[in-house]
Amino acid sequence: MNEIIEKLTTCIEFGKINQKSPFPPSMRGEVGADELTRQALEAGIKPVEILEQGLIPGMNAVGLKFSQGKVFVPEMLMAAKAMSMALVHLKPYFMSGEVKRKGTFIIGTVFGDLHDIGKNLVAMTVEGAGWEVIDLGVDVKTESFLDTLEKYPNCAVGISALLTTTMGNMESVVKLVKEKYPLTKVLVGGAPLNTEFSNKIGADFYSRDPQGAVAYLNNLQNC
Amino acid sequence: MTEWKNSILAHPEKIAVPVMTYPGLQLIGKSVMDMVTIGEVQYHCVKALSAKYPAIGATTLIMDLSVEAEAFGSLINFSENEIPTVSKRLIDSFEQVVNLKIPAIGDGRTKSHLTAARLAADNNTALQVFGGIIGPYSLAGRLYDITEMMTAILIEPEGAHDLLNICTSFLKEYALAFKKAGCNGIVIAEPAAGLLADYQCEEFSSRYVKQIVDFVQDDNFMVVLHNCGNTVSLVESMLGTGAAGFHFGNAVDMCEILPQVPSNRLVFGNLDPAGVIKNGSPEIIKVKTKELLTRTSQYNNFVISSGCDIPPGTKIENIDAFFEAIAEYNKG
Ligand code: B1M
Repeated sequence: MNEIIEKLTTCIEFGKINQKSPFPPSMRGEVGADELTRQALEAGIKPVEILEQGLIPGMNAVGLKFSQGKVFVPEMLMAAKAMSMALVHLKPYFMSGEVKRKGTFIIGTVFGDLHDIGKNLVAMTVEGAGWEVIDLGVDVKTESFLDTLEKYPNCAVGISALLTTTMGNMESVVKLVKEKYPLTKVLVGGAPLNTEFSNKIGADFYSRDPQGAVAYLNNLQNC
Repeated sequence: MTEWKNSILAHPEKIAVPVMTYPGLQLIGKSVMDMVTIGEVQYHCVKALSAKYPAIGATTLIMDLSVEAEAFGSLINFSENEIPTVSKRLIDSFEQVVNLKIPAIGDGRTKSHLTAARLAADNNTALQVFGGIIGPYSLAGRLYDITEMMTAILIEPEGAHDLLNICTSFLKEYALAFKKAGCNGIVIAEPAAGLLADYQCEEFSSRYVKQIVDFVQDDNFMVVLHNCGNTVSLVESMLGTGAAGFHFGNAVDMCEILPQVPSNRLVFGNLDPAGVIKNGSPEIIKVKTKELLTRTSQYNNFVISSGCDIPPGTKIENIDAFFEAIAEYNKG
């Protein structure tokens, strides 16, 4: 595999954003995802290859270590930041249509709930997997999901909740989304949820982690 | 306080110290908004709870994770029946730390919480009264944004330390104010540190918590450190703070925690406050409570508690079930 792409994968896995970033200490002074993505484009590597062979494997590697308890939230967020930095350079190719986005994904933390670390990780990972992500933030009211769906009617919706008291709020969001947009797929996640709850409220899928969300969304795309 | 601790260690009979203020609202007919803004209401809540449940081993005052950030100047969202929350970050770069003014004790709603503490202590609502404050790393996260604070410890550690120093300066004084109000101790809630690796927790949380402990803890005033994350590998760092007690959330199995803690330090935990105590049936609560007591029976330093604050709206019959289960367990 191309050396630049290999290095890029390592930068994503270890959260090396750019040359200036002091993290990780073992890569201090070295170039990061920012510079390597630019170098890759300059070397004529196709944006889609950068995405699929560089960024996605890096995120998968760190995601695996996170689920095994080998790295923690700070490192996972650094990997996502490195990936976002790389995506800045790929954005023009997405916009021009040269690289096709896999689809659009609207995500938000359900109303009443302000926890966003998990939601942010899902948003960044899905974006890194080639989706356009519209992040509505926290405490997202049903109307906000519906208004955004009106603008992007073919997208998938993701809702996150961390509180037992707010996970119930997901039911009304799912119900109203499905009433107005019956074909829209709704994916839910967050620590207190499970598949049984997801089925009960009429959501299409429950994912326990960002990787599961990506797998489900990518699969939709293949349907 | 040492006396209270020693009596717990000496008696195999179990006492309960749930982190509980909100269920008292139903007993006195007030709202969450009243509770978080009016010290007298908070006092009447805990007084009503202690009167109803004489088996409460200690009164814990509100675990309000927004009051300290509000005192620094953060905007807070209030609603009648929800716990208040910080609406947006106060600073977005560490350069702004120098502009932060350390709040005076009594600023914002700290005054109301200290009033509740003084009234509860003066009127002996229970054998012991614990005030509640947020931990340094969690407060820094409230001021700087928690997601940003997670990565700041890796890319801007000096800035993170600057902010933590300011937060700790204030928290030391706030903790002292609870001591002066007559409390027997405080619970320091440090939930965000539960997401860190052990060495990160040590550098960016425990080191600062230790400063608070050193500043206020003595034979008459106990610090209990609460962390509701997956703390199995953080226990050593938590112990290093010197706190006399440790309170764990329901993310952990107490049987993995207790063997790590010396038998002269109290360990509180960890019935799921939302899934079991709020949403469970009285039967389930009884089963889970007895199960936890049985599994931890060999540890005299274990005090049964909720894993975190018992949420508003929890039915009184559920709290009844919790105390009934303990009484039945103690009868044998
Ligand atoms: C759409 O598709 C998908 C797919 C997968 C999805 C997904 C969506 N969303 C998530 N996932 C999945 O992917 C992620 C990566 O693997 C995972 O995301 P998670 O979000 O699960 O995991 C994150 C990566 C890390 N985890 C977290 O970020 C949560 C960590 C803990 C410590 C936590 C934190 C940090 C905070 N809290 Co809060 N907090 C706790 C948490 C205790 C714990 N240790 O878990 C929890 C969640 N909090 C709780 C509580 C009660 C509260 N909190 C509150 C406040 C806060 C802070 C502000 C201090 C802070 C949040 C800061 C922020 N901006 O997010 C209050 C509520 C505020 C509100 N209205 O939302 C308050 C009510 C406390 C109070 N008294 O004020 C408890 C909830 C109990 C319950 N089950 O209802 C709690 C479990 C603590 C406890 N032990 O009691 C997966 O679930």
